[in-house]
Amino acid sequence: MKISLNWLRDFVTWDWTPEELAHRLTMAGLNVESVTPYVREFPGVVVARVTDCRRHPDADKLSLCTVDDGAGEPLQVVCGAANVQAGQDVLLARVGAVLPGDLRIRKSKIRGVESHGMICSAAELQLAQQSEGILVLEGAPAPGTAADELIGCRDTVLDIEVTPNRPDWLSHFGVAREVAAISGHLLDGPALWSPPKTGGDRPDFPVEIADFADCPRYTAHVARGVKIGPSPRWLQDRLLAVGARPINNVVDVTNYVMLELGQPLHAFDLKKLSGNRLSVRRGKPGTRLLTLDGVDRELTADDLLIADAAGPVALAGVIGGADSQVDVNTVEILLESAYFDPGAVRRGARRHQLSTEASYRFERGADWDAVEDAAHRALHLLQELAAARIDPTVVDRQNPDRREPAPLTIRVAQANRLLGTELSMSEMLAYLQSIGLKSQPVGRSGGRQGGDGKFMVTVPSFRRDLHEEVDLIEEIARMHGFDNIADGAAFRGGAGVRRRPQDELAETARGYLAAVGYSEIVTSSFMERADLDRLGLTAADPRREMLAVRNPHSGSETLLRTTLVPSLLRIARHNVNADRELPFRLFQLNKAFLPGGRRPAEVRHEDERRLPQETWTLQAAVVGRGDRVLGDADAGLLEIKGLVEALSAQLRLPLTLVPQDVESYLQPGCQWEIRDERGAAAGSAGLVARKVLRDMDLDAPVALCEVELGNLDLAPAAPRFTPFVRFPAAKRDLSLLVPDGVGYDRVQEVVREAAGPLLQSCVLFDVYRGSGLGEGRAAFGIRLKFQSAKGSLQGKAVDAAVDAVTAALARTLNVELRG
Amino acid sequence: MQETLERLRAEGRALIGDADSEQAIEQVRVALFGRKGSLTALLRGLRELPDAERPAAGAALNELKQELEAALELKTEGLRSAGDTAAGAGADLSLPGTPPAPAGSLHPLPAIVREVCDIFHGMGFSVADGPDVELDWYNFTALNFPDDHPARDSQDTFYIDDKLLLRTQTSPVQVRYMEQHRPPLAIVAPGRVYRNEAADASHAAEFFQIEGLCVDKDVTLADLKTTVREFLRLLYGADCTIRFRPHFFPFTEPSVEVDMRCFACGGQGCGVCGRTGWIEIMGAGMVHPNVFAAAGYERDAYTGFAFGLGIDRIAMLRYGIDDIRLLYENDLRFLHQFRGVR
Ligand SMILES: [Zn+2]
Repeated sequence: MKISLNWLRDFVTWDWTPEELAHRLTMAGLNVESVTPYVREFPGVVVARVTDCRRHPDADKLSLCTVDDGAGEPLQVVCGAANVQAGQDVLLARVGAVLPGDLRIRKSKIRGVESHGMICSAAELQLAQQSEGILVLEGAPAPGTAADELIGCRDTVLDIEVTPNRPDWLSHFGVAREVAAISGHLLDGPALWSPPKTGGDRPDFPVEIADFADCPRYTAHVARGVKIGPSPRWLQDRLLAVGARPINNVVDVTNYVMLELGQPLHAFDLKKLSGNRLSVRRGKPGTRLLTLDGVDRELTADDLLIADAAGPVALAGVIGGADSQVDVNTVEILLESAYFDPGAVRRGARRHQLSTEASYRFERGADWDAVEDAAHRALHLLQELAAARIDPTVVDRQNPDRREPAPLTIRVAQANRLLGTELSMSEMLAYLQSIGLKSQPVGRSGGRQGGDGKFMVTVPSFRRDLHEEVDLIEEIARMHGFDNIADGAAFRGGAGVRRRPQDELAETARGYLAAVGYSEIVTSSFMERADLDRLGLTAADPRREMLAVRNPHSGSETLLRTTLVPSLLRIARHNVNADRELPFRLFQLNKAFLPGGRRPAEVRHEDERRLPQETWTLQAAVVGRGDRVLGDADAGLLEIKGLVEALSAQLRLPLTLVPQDVESYLQPGCQWEIRDERGAAAGSAGLVARKVLRDMDLDAPVALCEVELGNLDLAPAAPRFTPFVRFPAAKRDLSLLVPDGVGYDRVQEVVREAAGPLLQSCVLFDVYRGSGLGEGRAAFGIRLKFQSAKGSLQGKAVDAAVDAVTAALARTLNVELRG
Repeated sequence: MQETLERLRAEGRALIGDADSEQAIEQVRVALFGRKGSLTALLRGLRELPDAERPAAGAALNELKQELEAALELKTEGLRSAGDTAAGAGADLSLPGTPPAPAGSLHPLPAIVREVCDIFHGMGFSVADGPDVELDWYNFTALNFPDDHPARDSQDTFYIDDKLLLRTQTSPVQVRYMEQHRPPLAIVAPGRVYRNEAADASHAAEFFQIEGLCVDKDVTLADLKTTVREFLRLLYGADCTIRFRPHFFPFTEPSVEVDMRCFACGGQGCGVCGRTGWIEIMGAGMVHPNVFAAAGYERDAYTGFAFGLGIDRIAMLRYGIDDIRLLYENDLRFLHQFRGVR
């Protein structure tokens, strides 16, 4: 809401600079977002008198004028306007003047005659869109008077953020009320039309209100003999200063009064209304209304309308109809000022996707008492500015069942309890008094607490946001000043607290992954439907069922992700395309949303059962590692396996990797299912399939792992110490010739079984394939470590164990010793 | 005897003096003190001396032995440190260090979440959370947003259907937590929130907030001020200047907005603060009685305060990030600048 300080001064004064005023308003809850000057000045333009005017010797349409600009020497000025005459008072732009639009006036020669300035038209001064001839002044001050004194404007405009609970601040008078409260100065009201005593109700123009719930009050006044024309300069300036566009005096007055008092008004051209009657009712399906913005709108039974005998003439509280609008030929006006139900206006405005200054205010709640005041204010201005004659009889239809809200009771002790203050009742009363709330103590009088320590507050019609005691306590705090409330004792939560296991685990995982080279990403909760196919999810995959947003802003489908994989691949692609050095490593700890997965035992709201299961998933990926290690194994694949094993240790989550094809988007034969302690599936790891990479447009190999944290026991038992063997260990390296098709897991299994209890570890340190080994074989280098808890091992015992190992390998796996 | 000793002393000293490696020292040691060493032989010969000479000769011999041993020890030390010098000689200390495997990085948003939670943890607040997909009831109705009220406009909402939506704020956790717990309670609840609007440099459709809630018998607005001030002191340092000004949130009454003096211009007004000299950093207020009622508490039994702050904004201010979209683009050139951020 833009507030003109010139306008504000009509109602109240203050003793501060604009910046100080802005600060004080901000600290009272009217957040001033900017303080900007509004200046319209005409440097070098002065009042001048045309003392002589004759035809230009060489041009029929030009006049040669002599003007007195108050400086002493008569000036010769060439003028092209038809209406220039000797004896006129005009506005002269002297040589050196700069007119709006950066037009600089220079001494010139026009058809051989020197011209020392320019006599201005209203259009050249941007006082009007267009004008005929020069601007001739009536009753002008002495020549030489600066034009600024007549048509200049210097104002300061505050841009105020108005919260939705304070419709009263959507007006200059409402803000003035606040300024009066904080400055201590008196508040003046605007000049109003006073209805004559002979007036009274108007029977010849019935207004029928179908439902008082939609429209509890409707007033209409008739103004006749209206002369449509431009508004005076001061009014135009005020509208322009606060960002409104002047149109004509009648429309301007309705806008002006809305900006002044907060009550939206609507002026109908009375002659365009048929039947001398109006009704306020809901729309009939199939009917239409062409509104002022040129849109032909289809109406429904939910729309609240103003209708005449022929049909709809306005969308109540939102916008008027084009067919009944005021135009240059209008002479009789029906001025509407009403109270429309906030919900009814809001629903209409939303359905038609239209937010107007009027609907914005009605939605937030109009001021019942201002309905009449605003009409009277507008009628006063129409009399003054459009020569209107006001009919003495008026329409004022009101809901007969309307009740004033009951006064609110406020407890002094409760206010101090909530605020942490020690305010007395009289201080509280004074604060409420200052913002226009009348209050009085309840019960026994006297004492610091004022009898029962309670008082009653009558809520005026402009503060219907005050519903209950706590609303009044806020007003007291606001007027007291939040900065004047002393800080309390440092608050502590009380009982000691510990981190939750899931938070501990998340921190450990994040810290570990970052330390070993993985960069954390935060990705969107949304995914595309096409991602399902890109990942090749089967028709039965539960991840195909996604929750969709009903009203996406982009217009395109907006779906909640059921898997984090597409988001990770997208970020990988972004970085590959941005030419990041390969390989790089990413991880994320984010949520996926699985509809129907949630099964709460007990719910307060039945809809709770429809919420999706939100699963925290930890995902990590190596992007761009395609090199081969240990013979021909893919390095990315083994790195991601190693990462899962390391995470399992670091997070103390007993995860195991079981070779198994579980995910369609991972390469067959190059993936594991990750299982928890009980053997339940907890995730997957593997190489992303080449087709998926192609479909995702990703030009680098990706190995990824994914662990769902939701079902894991995130608070594993503390480790139990087991004594370790202090006797020295004996190591033996073996080079094995292993037939293809025999995996290292089998070799390890046979070794462990055959070696007996002395074997401490069996580690693979090399895999070699190549000529010299013979077809279909690989060389595995393994290192066996033997140790006994009873003492140093004798060579014989170790030899026996190694012999048993080689024999078992040869027998069961056809594995030979190399060399 | 005396002669023999003097000869041995001279020989031993010469041998020790000539030894130029630890190996040579070892040979000298054997030559002197070994089983067949010259000194050992003399010691053995002591037995054959007359009783009267034996003590004096023994003492002299022992003295020589200690002397030579000390000389040997000294020589060994000398050789060892000489070796150190030789090995280190000529090292170019300006060569670049060999780095460990390159580290990854933590994303600034979860890092700030952790930091804020940590501060409140130290002030006695537990951590709680709630679902991203929420019931309209928890996100709006229970928080005292009337149906069909413009207060809902400020939060353009992604609706799933009439009853389900993506939460527009972390505030629904207030009611969910109070349904399950009785006061005294103090929690913070971080999480992702959603707004149905087009993204630009300062708005994202998804961003992060942290909610705070503290309820007990007589919690006051003064307590709220203290807690907020203490938190901001811990987050931004002792020299941050803040102010509390009245504002409106449906679920708190009174409601306040907390501003911090612009760190970029010191309050003069600049682009960072929109020329106001102040930066809005959090919203807060006293829990509205209707919210207590929605959670199943008696309206008057407790008082409490709640607050909410935007994580993205803290991250942007702290790290000088001028476009919120950078936080969600996840470009490694961005992410790697936060290496070492915890
Ligand atoms: Zn600044």
